[in-house]
Amino acid sequence: MPDVQSTVVEFVNKLRKRKIEGSQATAKCTVELLRSVISHQRVPHANQAAALIDAVKAVGEQLVAANPVELAVGNVVRRVLHIIREEDLSLTTAAMGGLDLLDASDDDDVDNCKGIGYPAMSAAVVAAAARSTLRPPSLQTLLEGTPESATVPYTSSSGADSESKSKSADKSSLTRKLKHDVIEGVNQLIHEIAGCHEQIAEQAIEHIHQNEVILTLGSSRTVLEFMCAAKEKKRSFRVFVAEGAPRYQGHLLAKELVARGLQTTVITDSAVFAMISRVNMVIIGAHAVMANGGVIGPVGVNMAALAAQKHAVPFVVLAGSHKLCPLYPHNPEVLLNELRSPSELLDFGEFSDCLDFGAGSGSIQVVNPTFDYVPPNLVSLFITDTGGHNPSYMYRLIADYYSADDLVM
Amino acid sequence: MHPAVYKVGLQYLSGDISGGNARCIAMLQAFQEVVKDYSTPPEKTLNRNMAAKISSYVSFLRDCRPLSVSMENAIRFVKNRIAKLPITLSESEAKAALKSDIARFINEKIIGADTVIVKHAVTKIRDGDVLLTYGSPTAVEMVLLHAHELGKKFRVLVVDSRPKLQGQLLLRRLIKRGINCAYTHINAISYIMHQVTKVFLGASSVFSNGTVYSRVGTACVAMVATAFRVPVLVCCEAYKFHERVLLDYSICSSNELGDPNAISKVHGREDINYFDGLTNNANLKFLNLMYDATPSDYISMIITDYGMVPPTSVPVIVRECQKEHNCFESPKIVI
Repeated sequence: MPDVQSTVVEFVNKLRKRKIEGSQATAKCTVELLRSVISHQRVPHANQAAALIDAVKAVGEQLVAANPVELAVGNVVRRVLHIIREEDLSLTTAAMGGLDLLDASDDDDVDNCKGIGYPAMSAAVVAAAARSTLRPPSLQTLLEGTPESATVPYTSSSGADSESKSKSADKSSLTRKLKHDVIEGVNQLIHEIAGCHEQIAEQAIEHIHQNEVILTLGSSRTVLEFMCAAKEKKRSFRVFVAEGAPRYQGHLLAKELVARGLQTTVITDSAVFAMISRVNMVIIGAHAVMANGGVIGPVGVNMAALAAQKHAVPFVVLAGSHKLCPLYPHNPEVLLNELRSPSELLDFGEFSDCLDFGAGSGSIQVVNPTFDYVPPNLVSLFITDTGGHNPSYMYRLIADYYSADDLVM
Repeated sequence: MHPAVYKVGLQYLSGDISGGNARCIAMLQAFQEVVKDYSTPPEKTLNRNMAAKISSYVSFLRDCRPLSVSMENAIRFVKNRIAKLPITLSESEAKAALKSDIARFINEKIIGADTVIVKHAVTKIRDGDVLLTYGSPTAVEMVLLHAHELGKKFRVLVVDSRPKLQGQLLLRRLIKRGINCAYTHINAISYIMHQVTKVFLGASSVFSNGTVYSRVGTACVAMVATAFRVPVLVCCEAYKFHERVLLDYSICSSNELGDPNAISKVHGREDINYFDGLTNNANLKFLNLMYDATPSDYISMIITDYGMVPPTSVPVIVRECQKEHNCFESPKIVI
């Protein structure tokens, strides 16, 4: 336990100092950390899932607080919580399936009140589980009222322990099985995060056609892999890269594209509107995708999206599923943005005479945001590792990946 | 080659003189020197010979740097005046008339126009305004300074872009005069636009379909301002208007291209050197556009010396200007 705690503290420090770059790397490290937290967590016999959930939530809150702007951290924590709840539910239904059979064989034991109580319990349990996994509630679950969480089966199963030795054997194997299943699910999640680029790049050939001109901003590895996949399939096309001052990430992307043999032209950010009429498609990589289909991207994408809308150019956003955030953006420019150092814009040495707030001299303020928000009506298509989607569909994917109980952490 | 013209050409080449008005005034003052030192060779008429000389100087200036629309209009005016000189005038009288015409053009069409524009535009600035401007337009700078002298309380947001970073010059001048400013780069305009109450832009030229031709990036600023419902006001002297029309916003047929190395190298940031050794790669190109065209639906109003007009009234003003040129008589010299 203590060394897990120290790794958590170390990771929190890395996040706070922004030492980890990129959502994919951050997500992967976060999941691996949570995996070690789960495997080291001692779970009691009863309320296993609750114990795991509490442990993961405690660590998750620290991580999110360290870097609130890196939404991938919160996304991945919620994914892990969802995995725990889902595995718990599937084990419960399997256990109930097993216990129902035993019930059928013990038909003679009418005095067993637990046996009588079971059918009602199972319905309540199903209702609870259904609510927690955001499935649409059926009439039965609505009429049952609000039962306790999915920990109910364990109290009943612990009560039934006295009944037969076989049941207790099932229960202890259940203990180990939950953790095992959760770790397996988490491993799958890691695999998914690591492989998102390939999944997205596979769809490149459907969207990039021969002799097309593509505009891109920022430096996203997803976009790079996407374009290289199209090039592998012998599509020849040209790429305009906006340089992305003041971080100049466009320079980085252009260098990579040229190294892979793509025809690249570097333009200044101010020329985006001028060039958009000559472009067939705009492709960008998102930093995060919000629940309403809005996109948080590198600064300058809103300008490109507006220009693309004016000229009816498709605006395509590439995002791995770990970037899908179940939160709605309220005032995203302020709350989900980070301001960087003014020295990237103004050289302090050159402007030292203006920075002296003497009499008669005006004050100077420098604004240097990192991210930009694009509303969903400007996005034509999202390409994720599960395929292509409309912005209006993104909220539905949240139901697949996240549980309603975990949205507020 | 007249030394004054040569000097102006070199100043254009090095970028010492930039901005439509400055370039035009410098060129016209050089032409005044040319007229002063001119003497008609024997067997030649003054009209044709001087026009030919002016044309040769113009092609030299064009080699140094492509002409702006304001310069083209001024050249057309000068040639027009040369052609209209009455034959009866002696050489000294003709030279004096020409010099005074050029001086009148500068004073009325450029300097005088700027005064009128400033007078109109300050009425649009109110206390508590947050004004956004892009680059370093001379007309807008005069408006802001005058409004500050009148005691209006406002803030200015200067938006800048690579590679010229002209906004820094404007920023410095405004700060020195005591105006509170904020500074940002063009990518961040979506972030700050919700604070802005008005956008003031300059123009190199305005075409007859209302399209504004100006520094690259102006179209982006106007577009984002329109998306956030912020009024966009363009300050432009009437002599810069042109009867051409323009649909293509990248103006690929005649856009001026700047130095590609200005993009690959970032001045002052030696750590940004990703392109070292790659400049000869056939796959890599740099495109450094100087100008772009802003569609007229992004412009709320154009402030000129003829008044404050919507972009749809530009062809009307062009016609008025042309009529004025046709009856722009030189003053009668009474002997």
